[in-house]
Amino acid sequence: MEHVDQPVEPPPADESVPACTFQVKNLSIWYGEKRAIDNVTLDIASNAVTAIIGPSGCGKSTFIRALNRMHELVPKTRVEGTVLLQGEDLYLNDVDPAIVRRRVGMVFQKSNPFPTMSIGENVVVGLRLNGVRDRKFLNERLEKSLRMAALWDEVKDDLHKPGTSLSGGQQQRLCIARALAVEPEVLLMDEPCSALDPIATAKIEELIYELKARYTIVTVTHNMQQAGRISDYTAFFYIGRLIEIGPTTKIFTNPTDRQTEDYITGRFG
Amino acid sequence: MIAPKHILGTFDEALASLRNNVLMMAGLTERSLERAMKGLFNRDDNLCANAIADDEEIDQLEIQIDRDGVAILLRFQPVASDLRRVVSAMKLSSNLERMADQATTIARRARKLNRHPHLDEVELMRPMYEHAMAMFKDSVDAFVREDVDLGRAVVLRDEKLDELNRVASDKLVARMAKDPDQLRGYLNLIFIGRCLERVGDHATNIAEDAVYAAAAEDIRHQTHAASV
Repeated sequence: MEHVDQPVEPPPADESVPACTFQVKNLSIWYGEKRAIDNVTLDIASNAVTAIIGPSGCGKSTFIRALNRMHELVPKTRVEGTVLLQGEDLYLNDVDPAIVRRRVGMVFQKSNPFPTMSIGENVVVGLRLNGVRDRKFLNERLEKSLRMAALWDEVKDDLHKPGTSLSGGQQQRLCIARALAVEPEVLLMDEPCSALDPIATAKIEELIYELKARYTIVTVTHNMQQAGRISDYTAFFYIGRLIEIGPTTKIFTNPTDRQTEDYITGRFG
Repeated sequence: MIAPKHILGTFDEALASLRNNVLMMAGLTERSLERAMKGLFNRDDNLCANAIADDEEIDQLEIQIDRDGVAILLRFQPVASDLRRVVSAMKLSSNLERMADQATTIARRARKLNRHPHLDEVELMRPMYEHAMAMFKDSVDAFVREDVDLGRAVVLRDEKLDELNRVASDKLVARMAKDPDQLRGYLNLIFIGRCLERVGDHATNIAEDAVYAAAAEDIRHQTHAASV
């Protein structure tokens, strides 16, 4: 048998230390006088789903908004500490927030397709705003994004219809497609299923599971069972502080901190 | 440390009810084993009959605990220590039911022995019985008090019970060769010894579940070398 040179395989990665997309160090955020995030340090693993849980007002949404500088849209915001995305500090003076938000996409609690735009226009609006005019490229990216959002088969014949003509669950997947169209590295989701029925929720959860092969996903949820189902890591926040972060199975079977235990078992308050 | 109450009072009530049923089942199982063994030692068929009758109530409690456990999983989706307690309670009930089956077998064998002249070798069962019952009571205590150290200690005591059973079996086999007229009697005692050895195995399982419930630590199937 003829000998064929095989390509040299790279050594296997050390699975005990997951690669990190974000490294957050000593992050504190103030809205005016109020400190919403208090000295948070954590790493967010790549190609994994990290769920942020905690009671209302604990800083969950502020934290994930800080990962793409979205919180800066709130007046009188002040930030201390560093947020490194793939090793690059997002808060350096010369970093353009618009570029950050392209690299780190976001899906919100309530689906928000642009009401005057069609389904197709909604998906590619980010690319158009970035100056892309090539119709063939836009059409390819449109189909690819809708397929990744598991929506293509349902809307491929109705791309000209208004985005708002879709059901709530479809609208949320449309927003995910819109976020994916600009090919971000990270997807942030702020309670993406809280306004959806169980079927639509299941579809989004399935989608999140599939997307994590390509993206790092950080999601905020009030639903403990959902956090248990979809996430690889869970972080518990309380009064702006990170109380505990760990593998989801560990957090939901044997959390280290008493406050985490009391919160997830429904003993809080 | 006593955990604070849940915000949902019905969740606390459901967990308390599950725990109470497990404790009741443990109490009945203990009583059934005591009756079966006293029926043997005292040659008392009534006690044996009572031990056999206990089994029905214990079986019903097993069904009830399984039903309640599934209902809790469905209605409250427990996590962390709550989840471990529910899962452990359901596993405990399964072990208790099997222990009660051992009590029934012992009682049936004892009744057979009681129909024949007394055998001195019945006393070979006493140290095994005392050891197995002590393991059983401590395993349930470990679960109730969430005492990890006691749970671990129970697991380590199973080896001595196995050894007691080996010694008793060897003696009974030797007696069978010397006294073939009483062969059936010795055989019944060997089976009773095996039942007590199984009681120790179930106590070990309960102790392991107690450690899991209290500390989320799975200590099953660890060799001595690994556990040291």
